[in-house]
Amino acid sequence: MRLLKPLLPALIAIILIVLDARFSTLDNLKRNSTTLLSPIYFFIDLPGQMINWVSDKGSDTEQLIRENEQLTSELFELKAKLQIYNNLVLENQKISKLIDASYTLPANTVKLARIKSIAQSRLKRQLVINKGSNDNILALQIVLGANGVVGQIIQSTPFYATVQLTTDPTQHIPVKNVRNGARGITKGLASNRSGMKVEFMPSEADVKLGDIFVTSGIGGSYPAGYPVGEVIEVSAPHDEAFLLVSLKPLENMNELEFVLVVSEPL
Amino acid sequence: MTRQRPQLLLFKLTLISALLSAAPLPEMIHSAAPFWMLILFTYWLIYAEIKAVYSFALLLGLLLDLLHGNVFGQNALALIGSTIFILNVKKSFYVSNLSTQQVYVFVASLIYLVITIGVHWIVQGFDFSYLIFLAPLTGAILWPIIHFLLAKLKR
Repeated sequence: MRLLKPLLPALIAIILIVLDARFSTLDNLKRNSTTLLSPIYFFIDLPGQMINWVSDKGSDTEQLIRENEQLTSELFELKAKLQIYNNLVLENQKISKLIDASYTLPANTVKLARIKSIAQSRLKRQLVINKGSNDNILALQIVLGANGVVGQIIQSTPFYATVQLTTDPTQHIPVKNVRNGARGITKGLASNRSGMKVEFMPSEADVKLGDIFVTSGIGGSYPAGYPVGEVIEVSAPHDEAFLLVSLKPLENMNELEFVLVVSEPL
Repeated sequence: MTRQRPQLLLFKLTLISALLSAAPLPEMIHSAAPFWMLILFTYWLIYAEIKAVYSFALLLGLLLDLLHGNVFGQNALALIGSTIFILNVKKSFYVSNLSTQQVYVFVASLIYLVITIGVHWIVQGFDFSYLIFLAPLTGAILWPIIHFLLAKLKR
């Protein structure tokens, strides 16, 4: 009899797990519930906000703060644009001999957001940023740092959004080697906090230490040309059809304070 | 017995556990930190006389899943699993010394860990930071301090 009491709640939990993991039926419920829980995030984030507020008050004038924020925003934007320009130059060098290709840089608009000081589930690699659907931040938009891709928005509420980092085990990004265009798909490694691996690289593929992988744009979930990581280990195990390629993300996730959200649909 | 309404105490404990989970700790410490919600819910289970505890466990677990972006129901199932154990040893827990309580907290945390990792394994694969295996140990080690502080809060 004692074990019957928890049976119903446990069954509900199991059903919810199955529905959430295998189907998308709970997406709306989760989104609405998370929106309702937004005030809790405000409360939880209060100590961090207080620290920021005190820090900001320490500056000389309000104008200085405004100017600083504006310059930071512009600097981030420029760095993000530079990432794709660098890649375009390399791409152009490689194929300009073959075709008369003309590149157009997608006119994506970006929004600067601050990382909220909220630790997330220890089984996932996520961040929460201080902008949400009120600022036109929507799910599936990509998030950039000054040096490369940070992740993708997976949930957006009016006041904040959750970013799944590239190092999350469930995050897969189609990438290519800048040096020779060899393609693969990255996967985060939860067992290694700042690691990724590239899957499906044929064993005969040319990959060297120090090679840079950028988003390939295949699949349409990520735009092409944004730096993802640098090769730190390559091995070709016996009886394996694919190389084992380890990447170190170009963006240091632990030192992020601001990020850019590419807010135009790709 | 509690000197304040159990629901009020649970509300306070929930807020505290949410704050503790959100504390900006280094990632290594964050991974090995105790399961705060479980630890504080255990304290509430032991000292509050209330029915429908499994429904509270379900709701708190779902709240945690939403706040952390986990698979919906993952923490809820883990919390229900640990609650079954805690309720089975409740009488003994209440009169035990701190060392024995630490063992109970360790076992409850272990059940929580096994269920959480199990669901994670089935849904997303066996890939996570192994530091999480330290969580039951840190929970048990910190239990006397947590117990002392919560006893102050309860008054």
